[in-house]
Amino acid sequence: MAGILKYLCNIDTPQVLVFGITGRQGKSRSRLMKGFGTRIAAGCTPGKGGQEVDGVPVYNTPAEAVQNHPEINSAVFFVPAGAIARAAFDAMDAGIKFLVLTADGVATQDSIKIKEKAAETGSMCLGPNTVGMLDTDGYLFGLIGGKASWAKKNYLPGRVGVISRSGGLSQLLASFHCRPFLPGPRPDGSFGPLWEENYPGLSAVLCVGGDPVPGITILDAARAFEADPRTEVVVVYAETGTTQENDLAKAIEDGEITKPVVVFLGGKFTQAGVAQSHAGAMIRNESETYTVKKRVLEKAGALVVDRPDSVFAATSGFLTR
Amino acid sequence: MPALPEYKTRILLESNGVPMVPAVFLDHVPEILPKPVVYLKAQIPGATSRAGRGLVRRASSQNEISTGLTELLAEQNCLGVLAAEAADIRREYYAACLLNFGGSGSLPGGVLVFSPEGGTGIEKRTGSLVKIPFSLLNPPSADEIEEKLPGVPNSGSLAEFLNKMINTFIRYKLTVLETNPIAVVEDGSHIVIDCRAEFEKHGVSKKDAHLFELPGNTVSDTTPLEKAVESINTDDPAGTGFFRATRDSVPEGAVAVATNLCGGGGKMLWEMATGGRTDIFTLNESDTSGGLSAFKSYRILRVILSQPEADVLVLTGSGMAFQNQYHLASAVWKALRESPSPLPSLLRFGGTDQEKAIQLMDEVSQNLPVEVRVFRPEIFPNAMIEQISSILSENRVHQEFKAPEGELLFETATPPARFIYHPEKNPGGTEPACVGECPTGFLMWKDGIIATNPEAKCIGCLACETASLLRDNGVLTIELDLPEEVE
Repeated sequence: MAGILKYLCNIDTPQVLVFGITGRQGKSRSRLMKGFGTRIAAGCTPGKGGQEVDGVPVYNTPAEAVQNHPEINSAVFFVPAGAIARAAFDAMDAGIKFLVLTADGVATQDSIKIKEKAAETGSMCLGPNTVGMLDTDGYLFGLIGGKASWAKKNYLPGRVGVISRSGGLSQLLASFHCRPFLPGPRPDGSFGPLWEENYPGLSAVLCVGGDPVPGITILDAARAFEADPRTEVVVVYAETGTTQENDLAKAIEDGEITKPVVVFLGGKFTQAGVAQSHAGAMIRNESETYTVKKRVLEKAGALVVDRPDSVFAATSGFLTR
Repeated sequence: MPALPEYKTRILLESNGVPMVPAVFLDHVPEILPKPVVYLKAQIPGATSRAGRGLVRRASSQNEISTGLTELLAEQNCLGVLAAEAADIRREYYAACLLNFGGSGSLPGGVLVFSPEGGTGIEKRTGSLVKIPFSLLNPPSADEIEEKLPGVPNSGSLAEFLNKMINTFIRYKLTVLETNPIAVVEDGSHIVIDCRAEFEKHGVSKKDAHLFELPGNTVSDTTPLEKAVESINTDDPAGTGFFRATRDSVPEGAVAVATNLCGGGGKMLWEMATGGRTDIFTLNESDTSGGLSAFKSYRILRVILSQPEADVLVLTGSGMAFQNQYHLASAVWKALRESPSPLPSLLRFGGTDQEKAIQLMDEVSQNLPVEVRVFRPEIFPNAMIEQISSILSENRVHQEFKAPEGELLFETATPPARFIYHPEKNPGGTEPACVGECPTGFLMWKDGIIATNPEAKCIGCLACETASLLRDNGVLTIELDLPEEVE
């Protein structure tokens, strides 16, 4: 069974280049990724070419890495925000098609340039400001999952696809669908286990990031889950700011997305123009408000909940036994 | 977005060859005054519509210049006065560069907004505005801009001008760059009469930082506790450390909640649970996520606990953090036992090592001077808040904590900390538990003392101190500096 990247950017098996692999975070996260099953082909840190990190060869540039490892098709970046645009451009110029940009605090102009460059080269970028993505087919990118043993225990194969604008809620919505006997509020008002041992499970989780200009959007991710035969229900953590939810609603209305979509929509009390810890949640116009997003999503047929613990009962209601 | 006043924006434009009306910046009344006629313009960050507020004055004599300067310099938040020569203006234009965030199938980029009419009140004459989208990656040439300006006289020269303006916008990663008016002067050339810019702090490169710095005498609405968190972020930059105090007063009868919401998801869960409640008042927003150390979590928690109006502390993230929850719990325990004013606490742990975190808090909470209730991640904030009223204490608890004296073993720079050894608590001289608890191998037991491994790094997790206090009678303690604004 192919993972979600097959449907997102036509990658059957990710072969990953890790930017910043010689740094503390790059090193520890590479171990986590490998421990979960991700194939790391090489690392890249300017000036540190020729070294090895846990047996992974390090190159000065992505072009050099790809020349020596032509199987590389994806990359994850553990580099500071100020260096991310240059590194991403180099990766895209080297032909890498899927990039995960974890850095927080990337200048909006840089995010825009990365998106423009991706459109030119045909690459897709998850982030910036993303915790990453995880596929229960056996690979993950970024910070998601914690320890490898924890990730293997908490993210189990199944039928729910998760898309989120928050790193923490990506993990929560993904892993809670994999917990037997998860307690929660039921649609009839009672509280208790929502399922027994037969938890719904996860196909993949994609955190599109909390910035105002995301690379891969909620709609891009929803299209991939629509095509992914493992996924029966798409669960989204959405919030105010940007037009991602409005675009998703239109795609549902137009029949492009036909699978059931459950949305936990945050931001009911977010005021326009106020800075948020997710920079992308700032409301810039009426269409980006909670009220408008809820209206268009519900009109299109998505099930919108405003309590996080209501998501799971909603999901199970859509699953065929 | 932070705003850059006119005199600073001029520097950015001039560095890209954009012609400006001659002007001099004055932060005091000089002995030799500029020659009249000049326009005196108060330089106040973020100020708009200055003319209508008397912050721009025409001075046609030395006396008027002197008086105008004196009065404008006395205005609140005034950084100085720009004395600009009067220009012989034949025609005025307006231009601004903005960001286009894209969406709905369209790519993001920049937008050049142009109007053949300039001057005050342009925002009311939207009919004359022309919007020209452009790529930030491949910005348009002057020729390409000229094609979009049909009917504008001397459009070639104007397009060159606008091209330089776009280059300025991109070079400094601005979010707004506005020139209003652009004046056409007697020889047909274009000059900027007034301008302003907005920017993102994280978009400013180190080499350009001086261009965006403002003198320290501006009135800031940053609270002392917010400044404390800024200083913590400066000496321990890894991970997110965000704190914002509310500017509103606690309503009569409401419970004032100090919050540590760990991340954007936690913040949104809290807001959704409490936003419609009038009986719960959130004193602060906070975001401690993105792989920050427990040292930093502790220091920010101490800031959060320093809010004098607080009745209770709520800590909750999304419920599935990748930040190690045992390390976070160690920080919470340290903050509650060392703070002079700890708060009754509702704590929700979820994520890596959550069981260890819950076990730790269960073990130590009996010995804290405040009640602590610990929640599993399956219990969401909307359920936690139902317990707030039953955990409140009648009066704020106060305690005295004095760090035990001992031998300074070593210090770490980032995260900054002092490791203190208490040999009297290890009379047998055996390897203490804290060494084995160090997850990176930074601590070693060598020749009967605790040493450090130069090949390893301290990640500031507090696991050593926690183990030492629980299993070794406190043979090793850690001292972390706090900003002076904290309690």
